[in-house]
Parts: sequence; structure tokens; C-alpha cells
Amino acid sequence: MRGLIAVLLTAAALSVRAQPIFDAHLHYSHDAWDVVPVADAIAIMRKAGLRRALISSAGDDGQQRLYTAAPDLVIPELRPYRSRSDVGTWFRDESVIPYLEDRLKKYRYAAIGEFHLYGADADLPVPRRMVDLAKKFNLFLHAHSDVDAVERLFQQWPQARILWAHAGFDAPERVAAMLRKHRNLWCDLAFRTDHGSGGKVDPAWRAVFLEFPDRFMVGTDSYTPERWHYIPEHAEWSRKWLSDLPRDVAERIAWKNGEALFSSFQRP
Amino acid sequence: MEKRRSPVFVLSAAVALFAGTAGACTPALQGAIVESAHYVLAYKASPEVGKHFSLDVAVCAKPGSPAPATLKVDAHMPEHRHGMNYVPSVKPVAPGRWHAEGLMFHMPGKWEFVFVVNGERMSQAFPLSEVIFTEEEKAKVLRHGPWPPTWRRDPSNRVSGRREAVELGERLFFEPHLSGTGSVLCATCHVPFRGFQDGRPRAFGLEEVDRNTPSLFNVGLYRWYGWDGAHDSLWSQSIRPLLDLREMRATPAHVAAVVRKLFPGDYEKAFRRPPPADDEEMLVDVGKALAAFQETLITGRTPFDQFRDALEGSDAVSINRYPMAAQRGLRIFVGKGNCSVCHFGPQFTNGEFADTGIAFFKGKGQVDSGRYEGIKKLRDNPHNLLGRYNDDPARTTATGTRHVELQQRNFGEFRVPGLRNVALTAPYMHNGSLATLRDVVKHYSELNEERLHFDGERILRKLNLSEAEIDDLVIFLETLSSTRGP
Repeated sequence: MRGLIAVLLTAAALSVRAQPIFDAHLHYSHDAWDVVPVADAIAIMRKAGLRRALISSAGDDGQQRLYTAAPDLVIPELRPYRSRSDVGTWFRDESVIPYLEDRLKKYRYAAIGEFHLYGADADLPVPRRMVDLAKKFNLFLHAHSDVDAVERLFQQWPQARILWAHAGFDAPERVAAMLRKHRNLWCDLAFRTDHGSGGKVDPAWRAVFLEFPDRFMVGTDSYTPERWHYIPEHAEWSRKWLSDLPRDVAERIAWKNGEALFSSFQRP
Repeated sequence: MEKRRSPVFVLSAAVALFAGTAGACTPALQGAIVESAHYVLAYKASPEVGKHFSLDVAVCAKPGSPAPATLKVDAHMPEHRHGMNYVPSVKPVAPGRWHAEGLMFHMPGKWEFVFVVNGERMSQAFPLSEVIFTEEEKAKVLRHGPWPPTWRRDPSNRVSGRREAVELGERLFFEPHLSGTGSVLCATCHVPFRGFQDGRPRAFGLEEVDRNTPSLFNVGLYRWYGWDGAHDSLWSQSIRPLLDLREMRATPAHVAAVVRKLFPGDYEKAFRRPPPADDEEMLVDVGKALAAFQETLITGRTPFDQFRDALEGSDAVSINRYPMAAQRGLRIFVGKGNCSVCHFGPQFTNGEFADTGIAFFKGKGQVDSGRYEGIKKLRDNPHNLLGRYNDDPARTTATGTRHVELQQRNFGEFRVPGLRNVALTAPYMHNGSLATLRDVVKHYSELNEERLHFDGERILRKLNLSEAEIDDLVIFLETLSSTRGP
């Protein structure tokens, strides 16, 4: 009997380990290129068991290099930052738009983001023109925003598809309310712990995941070069808390939602 | 709303110079004393920068001198070569007593009062602090004391505070045979005359390790141990370097054998039982004796403590002895620098962990994840406070260990170190990457906010300090060091 239990436990563990991960929140910014070279970055993602990853970088060349090296793995998104210091100023910087236009002419992307945008700033001219570009090129918006800014983005473009970074760092009840209101809103769960601490899913979050199993993805958020080495750890951490959900829900959040959403960005 | 400012600092100058003796006569006023060949003068004033103030003066004549009949009062700044912008009026109020009005010090700095009694000139320097602390700032300053703290034994260590255990711990601390090679002792890295650290960026026991040797000053007061907080008691932490292959490279059996051979009597006195046969038990007891010794390494009082207590007791004389630059630096520390948010309380640490924008690569392709790995190690450690070696039957000491949560933001966080005697413990940060206190202050002044998560700790922002402000903050930090050892 003990032997059988051991076999079953091992099988369960292998099953958990085998869970692929779609990482919806990675950055490969300029300060990472030397200390985590492209080959190392790709190796880290493969070691972590990432099926695919949505990657942006401050200094757009980053994820383009990764995409060239591993088109089966990397889905590029275009960040409106030439360096990360643009994070607090880009929405008033007119030069951001020609920069985006130039990159969109040259390369193919799945999304514009991740960008930081709060409240009424979303209605400033630069974000509005960015939304127009997303509309023109049929791209997702990956918004690190509060509820107010998300609402304003939807007002500008009701058909927008918005990936809400970190689920807005908002409470599960508010996230659920937003998901009920907006059919084209999805969330990544990067850099937050409250939903799955200690390998257990928080009850309030569980209710939201079960109500909206198609609307969530996980993400590491490699905002410093060092955090590239957190990707495997994050994948393992995600597998643990996901294993506390029904298998089909866990699979969707782990990778199927990402695959479905970005299916237009076909593997080569 | 304008913040109410403490009058303490402006009063300080008024009574800072009481030091003189009354000599041959005693003026009929308690105040600062000035003395000339024929007269002793006392005065009382409470100047604030940019505000008119009055002055009460009493003069007595020394034996054989004529009674004081006339008084002129003035003030000037010798270094600036100018006086006041106002001429005070001086009125007699009683024999030998005057009241002067209309004075104003229109800038902070080194003023000098000039008194002329019966044509005889006398003067006294009167430094007027430019550092005016708000009530809020004052409250923050007071929270950094009192010092030293009341000593409390560690309930998780049954020999904590026991004299015989302290003595045994001290012997073990300097015992090279505890290491596997017989060549490394605790004091190899924790060098007493180097502030109980080694002055190196990264520690070197038998090999170089990844982190800076933390000082042992006030180590008994911490909640977590090691830069990553992988240990929850001082005795548990004390075991770690014994067994680390790069530090002392011993085994439990080796440590136990050394104690049984070299210290059986000392052990029996300290633990009130013969050395145990179980090696692991002995190893833990070695950790507890080492901890008992290290708990005694409490730093002495510092110039800051004198100032802090003076501030609390409105002791203006002592307040004014604290250098102006240190006062300005302290104001940055508790004010716009926000340093005291993490470097909180009498020990200047909140005892927790933070990502301060320091890179945490430890080699090509390797990172030191700090607190993230520390929590995992803590949970796996059989010597943690949830385990059988905790001598606290109530396990109240284990509350932190029981409840600590592993969070995504822990990746790259390191312990907030205490700042007492900080000037004696260079280099700084978890990897010793900053050589001087000035480098540390400049790190925060020029903080690379790109390394911090946008939704991370919002108190960490680039301070953009001027060179003078950096100097002041460094001078303040230097006043946190005691002039005598622990």
C-alpha cells in the first residue's frame, strides 16, 4: 500500500512539475543584456518549463533579440520606454509616439506594454495616440494601471483587449467586478503573493479564479536583471499554488489562457 | 498647516554657556555668565532666527569695584563682520538689573553678545542653531533611544545571561580547534578590534564567501540573523559558520569532541550537567554558549545618545554640545531622507528586510536572493525556534517563525542593519560593495529607482542630496558610534 501511495505521490509531483507555464510578464531591459546574455535568458526560460512568454523591454531591442533567438518561446510586446526611467514621464512625452510608430513599422508585436498609467493621465494625448496605434495594429494593451485608468482606456476604445498587469494590485472582489464589467479584460498575477501564499489559494481569490478561469495568467516580472534567475523559482511557486485549484482551471491559468489569447502570434 | 517648531533648540543657545563661575560676586539672575576684571554679568535670552527678542541682565561688582551704573548691549557676528540690523533699547529695572528689547538675530550662526558695563567691555559667543526641529521630527529623534536598552534574557536559550555560559562562550569564540581544520575561529571574521567584523567586502574563513561579515554589536537584540534572516535565534545562527564548508568546516561530531576534550568542566559549570553524549545536542549547546557571550556585546553611549536624552529632558547645555552638522544630518535622517522608517528605534533598525537597489549578483549567472532563500532555509532548519531545541516551552519566541510568509518581493531583500557603531564597521551592504559611509549616503542620494519595483517600497526615492547635505548625514552617522567599546 505504501508503495502505491509513493507511486501516486510521485506521479502527482511529476504532473505538477510538468505543468507548462505561460509567463505573461517578463522584461528584458537594457541593463540585463550583458549580465544575462540572450543564450542564458533563453536557457533560463526553458529550464523553468516556460511554454511561451510575453516579453517587453525598456530599450526595445531586448525582446527582439530574444525573439530572433527563440521565436517558439518569445512573444514580443512593445514598451513605450526607451529606458526604464521613462516610466514616470512617458505619458507626457510626445516623442514616444514616433518611437512607437517606428518600431511598429519594423517589427511584429502582440501587445503594447507593459506601461504604467494611472487615473486621468490615461486621457492625455500621448496615451490616446498610443491607444490609436494599438487599434490600428490590433494589439493588446498591457496596462499597469488602477481601475480608473483601465476604465478610461476602455472608454477610448471599447473593443480594446487589456491585459491588466498585477491585476491592478487590487483586491479580488474589485478585480472580479472589473472582469464582470469588461469581457475584454484579462489579468496577470505578477509580483503579488496574496492569491497563492504557501501553496494554497486564498478563498476570495479562489472564487474569482473559478468564476473567471479564462481571464488570468501568471508572470514573473523581471524588472531587474537578477530577477531573470527568479523565473524558474516563480514557475515552481506558481505550479504549487495552481495545484490547489481544479486541474482544468490550473491549466488554463498556467498556460492555456496565454496560448489562446496570443494564438494569432503563431509559433513558427 | 504650518508645523509647530520646537523651541528647545533656540533655547539651547540661551543657556548653553552657563559654564563660568560667578567669581567674587553673584548676579541676581540665573542665566549665562560673563565675567570681566570688575564685574560679573548674568543674562537670559531666547533668541530665534528672524524674531525680535528681549534680554534680562543682572550685574554685580567684584570687591573694590564701583557699582554697575550703565549698561550697553549689542551683538554681532565676528565671522561675518556684521552686527544686528536693530539697535536695542536698554532700560534699568532695579539697581544692577536691566531689560533690553528690540534685539534680533537675522540669521543662524555664531553670534556674540557684547556688554559694556561702566565702560568696561565683555563679550560672549552665542551660537544660534540653524537646525529647528518640528515636533514631529523631535518625536522621531526620541524614538532612537533611550540607550542602552534594558537587558532581557533570551527565553529560547536556557543559559542566556548566565555568567558561566558567557565565560564558556567567550572561550569558544576564540577557540580555533572548533573549526574542522583547527585554524579558524569565530574571531577570524568577527575581529573584536575591527568592530567584530573583518573590514573585508566579503568574509573569508577558509574560503571567501558571498557576503559581508556583519558586526556583532548589539547582535542579541535582533529578531532575525544573517543578511537573509535564515536563522531566528542567535544560538542557531552561531552554529551556521561552524558547519559551513567555506567558513569553519566542522561537523557536529568534531565540535562535540572538542568541547568534551578541552572544555568539559566549563561546559558543566555553564549547563549544570556533564557534557551530553549526543553530538547534535552538544552542537546546539555550543551555539547557546556562543550566543550567551555575544549577547554581552552591547555598544556604549554615543554623542547622539547624549543629544537625544538632552532633547527629551530639555537640557539645553547638552543639546548645544552636539555638532550643528550632526543636527542637520539628523534632520535629514528623520526627515526628507526617510532613513528612520527602516533604521528605526534605539538600535536603528526595524529588524526586517528591504530591497535597497543594491545589485545582488554574486557571480556570473548566480544571484544571492537574500531573504527569499533565507525564509526557505529557516523553514528547513532543525534548529529553528519551532523545533525541539528551543528552551522556551511556551514557544512565544517562535511567533515570527510560525507566521513569516514567503513573498515574491523577498527576492533580493536583505536585512536592515542596525547603525550603532556603524562608522566602525566598513565596508557596507550585504556584499560589502560600498566602501565608506559616504558611499552609502551617495547610494541613496543617487538611488537608481529603475532597480526598484514601481509598486515596491515607496519610501525609497532618489534623495538628490547636495554635497553639504551628504557631509552632514555622514557626520550624523558618525555620532552613532560610541567612544568606548562594548
